[in-house]
Amino acid sequence: MASLSPPPPAPGPGRRTARRARTPRTARTPRGLRALGLAVAALTAAAGCAPSTAVPGGRGDKNTGTLRIWLFREVDNAPKAAVVDRAVAAFAKDRPGVRVDVAYIPVETRAQRVKAAFNDPRSAPDLIEYGNTDTAGYVRDGGLADVTADVAAWAEAKDTDPAARRSVTVAGKVYGAPLFVGVRALYYRTDVFAELGLRPPRTLDELAATARRVHRERPALHGLAVGGAYTYGALPFLWAHGGGVAEKKGRGYISTLTDERTKKGIAAWTALFGDDNCPPSSCAQRGGNATVESFASGKAAMAIGGDFSHRAMENSKVKGAYAVVPLPGAAEGTIAPAFAGGNNLGVLKSSSHRTLAVELMRTLAGKRAQADLFDAMGFLPTYTDVRAAAARRQPFVRPFVATLDAGARTVPVTPGWAAVDAAQVLPVMFQEIVSGRRSLDAAAAGAAKKMNEAFRK
Amino acid sequence: MTATDTSRASRPSRARRPGAWTPWLYLAPALVLIGGLLVYPLYQLGLISFLEYTQAQVSGGEPTSFQGLGNYTELFRDAQFRQVLLATVVFAAACVLATLAVGCALAVLLTRVRALPRLALMLAALGAWATPAVTGSTVWLFLFDPDLGPVDSALSALGLSGFEGHSWTYDRYSAFGLVLLEVVWCSFPFVMVTVYAGLRAIPAEVLEAAALDGASQWRIWRGVTAPMLRPILVVVTVQSVIWDFKIFTQIYVMTNGGGVAGQNLTLNVYAYQKAFASSQYSLGSAIGVVMLLILLAVTLGYLRLLRRQGEEI
Amino acid sequence: MNALRIRRPWRLAAEAAALLVAAVVAFPLYWMVLAAFKPAAEVQSAAPRPWTLRPSLDAFRRVFDQQDFGRYFLNSLLVAGTVVVASGLVAFLAATAVTRFRFRFRTTLLVMFLVAQMVPVEALTIPLFFLLRDAGGTVPGIGLNTLGSLILPHLAFSLPFAVWMLRGFVRAVPEALEEAAYLDGASRARFLWRILFPLVLPGLMATSVFSFISTWNDFLFAKSFIISATENSTLPMALLVFFKDEGNDWGGIMAASTVMTVPVLVFFVLVQRRLVSGLGGAVKD
Repeated sequence: MASLSPPPPAPGPGRRTARRARTPRTARTPRGLRALGLAVAALTAAAGCAPSTAVPGGRGDKNTGTLRIWLFREVDNAPKAAVVDRAVAAFAKDRPGVRVDVAYIPVETRAQRVKAAFNDPRSAPDLIEYGNTDTAGYVRDGGLADVTADVAAWAEAKDTDPAARRSVTVAGKVYGAPLFVGVRALYYRTDVFAELGLRPPRTLDELAATARRVHRERPALHGLAVGGAYTYGALPFLWAHGGGVAEKKGRGYISTLTDERTKKGIAAWTALFGDDNCPPSSCAQRGGNATVESFASGKAAMAIGGDFSHRAMENSKVKGAYAVVPLPGAAEGTIAPAFAGGNNLGVLKSSSHRTLAVELMRTLAGKRAQADLFDAMGFLPTYTDVRAAAARRQPFVRPFVATLDAGARTVPVTPGWAAVDAAQVLPVMFQEIVSGRRSLDAAAAGAAKKMNEAFRK
Repeated sequence: MTATDTSRASRPSRARRPGAWTPWLYLAPALVLIGGLLVYPLYQLGLISFLEYTQAQVSGGEPTSFQGLGNYTELFRDAQFRQVLLATVVFAAACVLATLAVGCALAVLLTRVRALPRLALMLAALGAWATPAVTGSTVWLFLFDPDLGPVDSALSALGLSGFEGHSWTYDRYSAFGLVLLEVVWCSFPFVMVTVYAGLRAIPAEVLEAAALDGASQWRIWRGVTAPMLRPILVVVTVQSVIWDFKIFTQIYVMTNGGGVAGQNLTLNVYAYQKAFASSQYSLGSAIGVVMLLILLAVTLGYLRLLRRQGEEI
Repeated sequence: MNALRIRRPWRLAAEAAALLVAAVVAFPLYWMVLAAFKPAAEVQSAAPRPWTLRPSLDAFRRVFDQQDFGRYFLNSLLVAGTVVVASGLVAFLAATAVTRFRFRFRTTLLVMFLVAQMVPVEALTIPLFFLLRDAGGTVPGIGLNTLGSLILPHLAFSLPFAVWMLRGFVRAVPEALEEAAYLDGASRARFLWRILFPLVLPGLMATSVFSFISTWNDFLFAKSFIISATENSTLPMALLVFFKDEGNDWGGIMAASTVMTVPVLVFFVLVQRRLVSGLGGAVKD
């Protein structure tokens, strides 16, 4: 029977240790508090000597030695590496005593890597590839070198398209060279459109009507796949209605989300989330990837996808049954301004080979290399003439080039944008509206407030 | 390794006192490593949380300035932070309870079956344990994907047409529930294996005696097994609390960084979004300190409770 | 065990339940491996099938064809192996100290080992970064970009838990054995390494599982501390390549995850028995 009761209290020694052990513990608490107080006092005193910081600024300008460069590693990296190797070999041939060390870093890790490089100049490369929405943040962090004069003296740069040029410019100064642009347009299913006797939409209103019609006739399909977290799919709607997220005012930016025209754009985008097209329960959370995947898996009749999505479409089940047109604007015959994504090359402030790094940047972002990169990887060139030539070689990029030529836009080039992006201000606003949690006016006002706070910092 | 009673006698004795420095010698490598790479950075973390410290200070050459408790007041004045704090505590508690329940139940199950099913369950559990968190979260999300996942197709094939294209991550509680499933999936194996090991260490005679006395299974569990398992349960509970409170990857991956309009944020993810993504290191550090303090309070409170009941940690 | 005394229908029901649970638990893993072998178009298919008729190695090829993949694998093995061995030895010494000796601050230290496990690692990477950067300037081999910058922090972070777990094993070795050894004239060191260590070894194995997994699966330190020396990257970096802003490569993610999980599983199966007996020992008091 004894076995049914809880085990007897531990015999003598164990019990004693337990008690003995308890004594110092209770006594320790006040001591710990005292220690904490001391620590706080010490902190107040030590506030002057903050944790270590990096030494800013370059270290001379050597013209021999090893030049380090970081490029993004693509899933299928070999063709990119081949183009880069060719350009680098040509570069090194003319410059004896110069070695170029190219490293490919996973895109996922770029934030840590680049910040680490700013913080530890010894690990830092001389030249980096970076996403063009990061420009302002990197400049604020003091990482990128001002190359305004070098770019001004560079003949090829005058053919760079204006949106790409804006993406390397902060407060009038140039911090790099655009490497390629990425832009989105409207993918649609040719088979579905033919069966239902539809034509590619010519205005945004017609787009919405077409989307609803498809969903009515083919309930298994979303008319237009949309996503509550698909900021770059939503922005063209805002811009096409004459609105935008923010505008420059004086030295800073101020949010224009509460502007009537912007609200019209927001309304047009959020109206697409509904049981008549793309129900919020499945579409509110989607980002760009999920939207494009939904189209590629045959679950949507239309989607806003990038030129970079082309390869994924070709490998999917909709291959041969889709076409691409520019996303139409509000009025017939116009194209909705698209978001100009893409990557740039920039020289680091800490580089000890500034002149060489600028020269290498010009080689890699030059017309020849960009044309090669397009042929190898399908990355759209940033030079209008090189891009036109590319469109002649590869017809599938034509709608994207047309979109770019109609004038693409970027997000505000200000460090505050990084905070807006990180806090997911726009996705939260769209999601609040489409899930019915807040009215459009309230959500837009809330987002504008958060945005202005971020811009002020 | 089955000595149960002898170990009680092996309490540290005062008999061997020559060289009071011996334990410190043994401890030295561990203390140096922990002191240098954990305690010192922790001190720095505390320091940073009292400063204004952004990327501009780190690499831009701007001077740092002392903020006092400024970062903390900013945090606690933020309504969203308080809401996230509450969600984190509740969610972590749910994860801990679910993990413990599943782990213990399966451990008992393991003792009731023959070698083959036991091996199958053990291997499956070890597989779940071995999977990297990023992968586990991705796979679970994939399983429950409204378009591509087998769960919705299976449910609608069973005639539950409401699940056709059903999104599991849209509703706040459903999303937390899905994440909870993944967390339980990857953390129950530790509980199960540990508790199973503990169950096996209970002498069979004790249980036999109880069974011969005619006690029901439940009474045997309450009266014999549970008390003998107590030290184990303390270990797995404390570990689960520590791990589940710090959940990051699962929420980040499965709810796409915090869910619809941030409804599924937990403290660790919030810290990341609020601070690291926009490199406001001081705010991030302050959140880290708050998390540590809460964990500390919960765990030490729990241990103290046990101690009052005569347990030894 | 008491399994013998359970009536037959109940045992069969229990076994059926165990197999069912095993299937449910294993299903996500099965799905992962399946997706790794599916051709790209099938992974994206809206009508997922739990099998594939055209298994393809394309995804695995994308994983293995990555530049330096073999190197990453070896680095991961080296880092995880070193952490496992070193943390085992250091934790063994520390656990011996806190269980077989009585000294001032013993309980304080124990509580410290517990508290150390609660530190949110994510938040510590920033101070650690500066620490390693500055240390690298004076001591070669432990600064940023070296494998040492991965080994040392992982070692420090796995120690508290290892000490905590090992206490039970050390305590379980009878005191009488120790006394007998000293009576036979054995030195303290001889007792420690020749008698105590082999007896605690199964516990070390069990403990090593934890340090191995956390080190092997780590992304955080790998992407924060290995900055310019890509040749010192570890396996998770080869997985991250497949997560991309403009569309994840699901097949690649699943194949890389499979490649990452298999060594851990092998390690698990090798130490499985010792893990069970070990964890049992850890907690017997």
